[in-house]
Amino acid sequence: MEEFAQQVVTGVSIGSIYAIIALAIVLIYRSTSVVNFAQGEMAMFTTFITWSFLLRMDFWPAFLLTIVVAFFIGAALEIVVMRPVERAPHLNSIVVTLGLLAIFNSVALWRYGPLQKPFPDPDNWCIGDSCLEIFQGDAFTAGAVTISRLNVGILFVALMIMVALFLMFNYTKLGLAMRATALNPVASQLVGINVSRMLALGWGLAAAVGAVAGVMTASSLNLSIDMMAGILIFGFAGAVLGGLDSPGGAIIGGLSVGVFQVLAGNYIDSQIDLMAAFAIIFIVLVIRPTGLFGRRLVRRV
Amino acid sequence: MIGWVLLGLFLLFFPYLHTWPAASSFLDSVDNTTGLGIGGTFGVFQMTTLGVWLVILTGLNILTGYSGQISLGHGAFVAAGAYITAILLDQTATPLVVAILAAAIGTAAIGFAIGIPSLRLTGPYLAIATLAIIVSMPQFLKWDKVSEWTKGSTGIDLPSADVPTFLGLDRFMDDSQWLYYSVMVPAVIMTVLAWNLTRSRIGRAFIALRDSEIGAQQMGVNVSLYKTLAFAISALYAGVGGGLFAYTQDFVSPDSFGIFQSIEFLVVIVIGGLASTLGSVLAAIFFVYQDGVVLRLAELIGFPERLRWAFFGVGLILIMIVAPNGVAGLVQRLKTLRPATVLEMLRQARPSAMISRLRNHPLAERLGLGRRDEHDPGDEES
Repeated sequence: MEEFAQQVVTGVSIGSIYAIIALAIVLIYRSTSVVNFAQGEMAMFTTFITWSFLLRMDFWPAFLLTIVVAFFIGAALEIVVMRPVERAPHLNSIVVTLGLLAIFNSVALWRYGPLQKPFPDPDNWCIGDSCLEIFQGDAFTAGAVTISRLNVGILFVALMIMVALFLMFNYTKLGLAMRATALNPVASQLVGINVSRMLALGWGLAAAVGAVAGVMTASSLNLSIDMMAGILIFGFAGAVLGGLDSPGGAIIGGLSVGVFQVLAGNYIDSQIDLMAAFAIIFIVLVIRPTGLFGRRLVRRV
Repeated sequence: MIGWVLLGLFLLFFPYLHTWPAASSFLDSVDNTTGLGIGGTFGVFQMTTLGVWLVILTGLNILTGYSGQISLGHGAFVAAGAYITAILLDQTATPLVVAILAAAIGTAAIGFAIGIPSLRLTGPYLAIATLAIIVSMPQFLKWDKVSEWTKGSTGIDLPSADVPTFLGLDRFMDDSQWLYYSVMVPAVIMTVLAWNLTRSRIGRAFIALRDSEIGAQQMGVNVSLYKTLAFAISALYAGVGGGLFAYTQDFVSPDSFGIFQSIEFLVVIVIGGLASTLGSVLAAIFFVYQDGVVLRLAELIGFPERLRWAFFGVGLILIMIVAPNGVAGLVQRLKTLRPATVLEMLRQARPSAMISRLRNHPLAERLGLGRRDEHDPGDEES
């Protein structure tokens, strides 16, 4: 039983990064119904930006600065690259995001090289002398179950992002406008919402959330240009499992993908952990075609 | 008509072109300037792989272009076909043609089996379900329980394809030419069959259910049957392609079929043109020759080698903006251009009209130069 609990905890800590990237994917899908394949590479790229900031400043200022930079990169991409294909067939926007994937990957390779770079763990949060020790220090233990501080920190960050987005979407005028845009762009335009701005904002937000995911990934692995490739696929699986239009679903979906992966590896056959995890996802999708928390698409004829 | 004859003659005599000195030096000079890679024995081999990808991409275009179902895991079907062929050739004395037919039937059955649960899924959800299949594929092939046949991660090494000695064939052609014909003949036949299929009752049913599932149902199209049929046909093509792949490469391993390859399949058919046979052909050409050309361009313009994927990405995005229906769509549009229509267009393209069009461009609006028209074409959609 304790072993099982430990597996679940390990799964949750792996899954927390999937959850953040899934959240970023959901943010873009909700506002533009585009699945952004470049999400992982954007996160990788912005993490390299953090890395170059880190040469000059402390961790948290560098982190915050990256988020701001990522926001503007995301918004700029929507305006320059995505807008021209807005009205084209749906697959075209997917191909454009794949083009972005290639561009980010190759520019990062050119600029930063193929070698792994060491990346520090985030500093603890300190105000004066009192510190919230969730990123560095000894692992937490409860019985035989242990979880590293860093993983607790990552989970905490994932939850914070979700709460912040929830508050923004549900209790601010901006959030209301963004939801309206996602639901019915034409009607939103008629009531005076600047739809184009909302779409750019959606991409900006997603890029910012992706930047957080990138930094967290780099802290738990190392920083390299291909670090997000696998994570993106699991992030996708998480987003789809939770339902592509539900931020809460993205978190739960991402965490469950991590747990599935660890449990399948331990209890079914470690050689086929991916296969087992994806078989579960496939089965869940067949039973619930729009994910666990996704809205059913009702189309008017 | 004359175009088709020329194309046929070209395909027929291509493998002998490089043995003729004048043509050979011409092909080599083309290679040196464009980086295409059509000269020499290498050129023949490139063209042979073009045939393989043509079969596979034609199949994917039936699924995605005509019936409108996205598959991000098409490589898994190709892998299934390649492995069935390779295992039969490796472990039994099956003749090649029978092995490839078995691969076709086996893969079609797998496609049908996967198509049934996928009936409930659409759009990105279907994409992820198919992605799940290709992600799991290498693990499955390396699994202990099946490695007796699949040879695990080392893969299956097949004897290289030799030209048979009967009828004195070996006096007329070398191995690479034999390989070329044994791939190109089925590839051309299957492309023509696909072209026929898409203009038949079945093809029209696919298009109908892509454009409106409910509408198609109203017209008496059995939606679930045709959706799974699209999966099965497209898997059949992938199976044949996979078999030819195993035969031409004389080697298959789990790493021959990555996720990014499957994604590239989708990218090239969108670039080539969805729901168009010409599109599939262009997609295959793009898939095979893109590498060399981009590398050559990199050399010419002088940007660093590491930026070549960025160059590729920019190319993708530009094509999508300029030709939303792929290159085949662009060709179709150009075909309708007659000198008279061009003149008419020029007459109508008054400078003032062009300026107002520029003013209405989203970027101009953003820069504060724009002027909103009283009539936004986008609003008519609802």
